[in-house]
Amino acid sequence: MLVQDDLLAPEVVADPYPYFARLREEDHVHWNQRWGGWLVTRYEDVVTVLRDYERFSADRMASLVLELTPEDRDRLSLLINYFSKWLVFTDPPYHTRVRMLINKAFTPTSVERLRPRVREIVDELLSEVAHRGHMEFIHDFAFHLPVIVISEYLGVPPEDREQVKEWSDETSRIFFIRADEPDRRERSQRGLQHLLEYFEPLIYDRRRHPKDDLITALVQAEERGDLLSHEELLATCTVLIFAGHETTTNLLANGLVALTEHRDQWELLRDNPSLVRPAVEELLRYDGPVKATFRWAKTDTELGGKTIREGDRMLAVLGAANRDPRKFQNPDDLDITRTPNPHVAFGHGIHICLGAPLARLEAQEAFLALSQRFPNIRLADRPREYHRTIVARALKELWVEW
Amino acid sequence: MARRLRIAIDYDRCVGSGICVLTAPHVFEFNDQRQSSVIDPTGDPEELVLEAAHGCPQMAIFVEDADTGERLFPPPGLE
Repeated sequence: MLVQDDLLAPEVVADPYPYFARLREEDHVHWNQRWGGWLVTRYEDVVTVLRDYERFSADRMASLVLELTPEDRDRLSLLINYFSKWLVFTDPPYHTRVRMLINKAFTPTSVERLRPRVREIVDELLSEVAHRGHMEFIHDFAFHLPVIVISEYLGVPPEDREQVKEWSDETSRIFFIRADEPDRRERSQRGLQHLLEYFEPLIYDRRRHPKDDLITALVQAEERGDLLSHEELLATCTVLIFAGHETTTNLLANGLVALTEHRDQWELLRDNPSLVRPAVEELLRYDGPVKATFRWAKTDTELGGKTIREGDRMLAVLGAANRDPRKFQNPDDLDITRTPNPHVAFGHGIHICLGAPLARLEAQEAFLALSQRFPNIRLADRPREYHRTIVARALKELWVEW
Repeated sequence: MARRLRIAIDYDRCVGSGICVLTAPHVFEFNDQRQSSVIDPTGDPEELVLEAAHGCPQMAIFVEDADTGERLFPPPGLE
């Protein structure tokens, strides 16, 4: 059996892939005692779990409520109420209704019209640091790009961005399972409360003064009555602002590490900018921003020869599936020309990341500009530390020079 | 007379989001693997087929005029 079986062990946080590989080969549907649930690591099983929403529920709040005492449930009622309306934590039919409502705004062709603006933002951000010869990539660049893009798209005024981001980060504490924080649920609820109070007047404003933004589009859906309730509207605003933040930041940072550590691939991209689309797909596969995604079994069932009990918690380990040699040739190699590249970095099935087309576009523009403007960029000689979380693959800082 | 469509699905891209199945339910259906399959290219109006193709988060649906071969989706440069 595994010597080290802890998702949060320092060496696993620093580099989860050897641990994932051992699980995938030795016990591919594995009961992890410490986390208290099943870790699913082979591509085929991950895809099965994520496709079969009838057997495997994404309703995280239903699962959380069972773990809480009645007092905790009272104390966290706001959080439970709104999170249970977040698309990412819901099953059909609610999920179907809201996803279909908002999907149009995030299709590849819809977000394509944002490309010129995204290119402009990338250019502005890089111009600010170009003369320095070095930057802390996350706080100088990778934080700002997705925040500016989703804020503008949603309709959050520029002067409020920083504040909204802080609240969004607070809200994320429960989601990314920062297990070493005992009051993370309370802090998460406080962050959410701030976001809700922030969006109320903004929604009121768009009702009277419609604009060309997503909040207005959602308000109009709410006004039709049958499409979206007021609480659902608020919940959807908060999930969109939240989801537009941290994950894209991590995609950019992890991607830059991968490319700079594989100099031949960096040079290939630099000399062939048209490879940027497959390159971004490969960066998602190789070291994507989300290591795993949560489900729970709605019924007694069987997976990979193991008996799963109703109510069991499960992690579909995307980072393990993306390196499964049964699906990908030389999975531990970074190959920016890899096609096809059916990775599961954005998940799979009905919960496939709504913002995937936007994240792809942002990453394409970012890596295009970086490879052209800073062709000699390299990692600074500093230790790299990752946040201690089960779900997010998130660097604390990333220093680079050119 | 509505033009005939040829609809193809790229199974390396299809993740079973179900968007197409919900948008044009008489054209697309989940198969046993919970990926999309075309059951009847004429099942819904062309408008809905194109809306389904547009709605696919993975750009996994390709639509062309079956008689002329004209590409109707995705637009050039986006495939």
